[in-house]
Amino acid sequence: MLKKVLLYAAVALPVAFSAFAAKADRLDEIKARGTLICGTLGTSEPFSFQDRDSRQLVGYDVDICKIVADSIGVEVEYKLLAVAARIPELDSGRVDVVAANLGWTPERAGQIDFSHRYYVTPQKLLVLANSDFENAEDLAQSRIGATKGSSSEALLKERFPEARVIGYADSPATFLSLQQRKVDAQFASELVLVRLMNQSPEGSPTRIIEESLFDEPWGLGVRKGETALLEAANAALDETETSGEAQQLFDKWFGADTPYDLTRSFTIGPIEGASN
Amino acid sequence: MDLLTADQFQQLLWGMRTTIILFAVSWVMAFALALVLVVVRATEYRLCRWFVDGFVAYHRNVPLLVQVMFWYFGMPELLPENVRFWLYDHNAEFSFAAIALALGSSAYVAEDIRSGLRAIPNTQFEAASSLGCSYLQSMRYIVVPQALRISLPPLVSRALLLFKNTSIAMAIGVAELTYRTREIENMTFKTFTVFGIATVLYLIGTFTLMAFGSWLENRTRLDRKAAAK
Repeated sequence: MLKKVLLYAAVALPVAFSAFAAKADRLDEIKARGTLICGTLGTSEPFSFQDRDSRQLVGYDVDICKIVADSIGVEVEYKLLAVAARIPELDSGRVDVVAANLGWTPERAGQIDFSHRYYVTPQKLLVLANSDFENAEDLAQSRIGATKGSSSEALLKERFPEARVIGYADSPATFLSLQQRKVDAQFASELVLVRLMNQSPEGSPTRIIEESLFDEPWGLGVRKGETALLEAANAALDETETSGEAQQLFDKWFGADTPYDLTRSFTIGPIEGASN
Repeated sequence: MDLLTADQFQQLLWGMRTTIILFAVSWVMAFALALVLVVVRATEYRLCRWFVDGFVAYHRNVPLLVQVMFWYFGMPELLPENVRFWLYDHNAEFSFAAIALALGSSAYVAEDIRSGLRAIPNTQFEAASSLGCSYLQSMRYIVVPQALRISLPPLVSRALLLFKNTSIAMAIGVAELTYRTREIENMTFKTFTVFGIATVLYLIGTFTLMAFGSWLENRTRLDRKAAAK
């Protein structure tokens, strides 16, 4: 009995892995279908989240998808994805592009193709306001909390090999650990940290260490080898930069009228180090 | 199918090591505590029974994740500050995860042993006392060994559950197998490969436990010699 089960498993696993062999040109398929299926997270304000009043999916990522679909000349259809499901959904072809906090790294670029960067997030450290930490280097040997699933976690370990990096389930849990001084600093994207800093309890305010440890470029994810689709996406993104729409879009979601009050420190364009 | 680098594979093995240690530590604690619970529960004193019933009810009805969160985020706040910071410097994540997992499992283990205990006829107890055994002696030498034998199959499945439940420790940053898996998946996007390998590692662990359980069952079977003939 056991032997049989093992045998089936041994046969079934590789078959399952190879099931998503590449299909011919995705862009043609999208045009024929008339819709671009775009995977986003749906839980990541202000990139992709449900608007409180209209109950519609809105956000920066959502708008970017719409722009790409408009440029191809098709409707856009959104599909909500969990973080861990992003790549399998893309590989299996259930979504055409993924706009879901995809930070570019050379290693990840070996699995999927990245479009031009459409967002760049500085990764910073949040500390308690009354702590002695001034510069990022002061934390080189500290305990640093990060959210499991943030792509720069590995880079943080490389930069501070003597630090102890602890990955928590989500940013509120990491923040609680910071408040309870289980960790000396919280490592996350500036955006997350600004929000947490603003929400800090009055009795224990926090501050962000100015120096950015890394700038993480985000791109749209496209299945490997779909060159035509990738080029169409890049063309659409580049067009928003030249038309000024990119700046408007940034200000709409991150600018002075938002709780984040950020200024744009990047332009849409090819990711440095990437081949596209 | 893309393979992992040797370094990444080694990280998975480190995760497996943490998983095994976490399982072993929590299982030993859970089992010891469960035995105490069972003996206390079996006494005549109503207060003791209420206490154990309450303990079991809490740990069976509150989600394990919440228990882990409570031990990590809630409990330390009750400790004096210097003790707390000493703990944070000494892998508090692992210790609190082990405590929470052990307490959570002990309630189930205690119930499994207790059902074994109830299968032992009361006459065994009476026989033991007539031979001059005290309550603890008759428990220790007569009743509990028999009850454990009966409880062995459910205990094995409890151990399997605990082995897999160690992944909950990931929520508070214990770098066990699932933690490492997610970390490497997130770094490389080789989702299928890394989860596939992790599945195989978990299966190796659980199959080993199952094999050990069967061996133990065979070894402790009373009619072993009779069956051999």
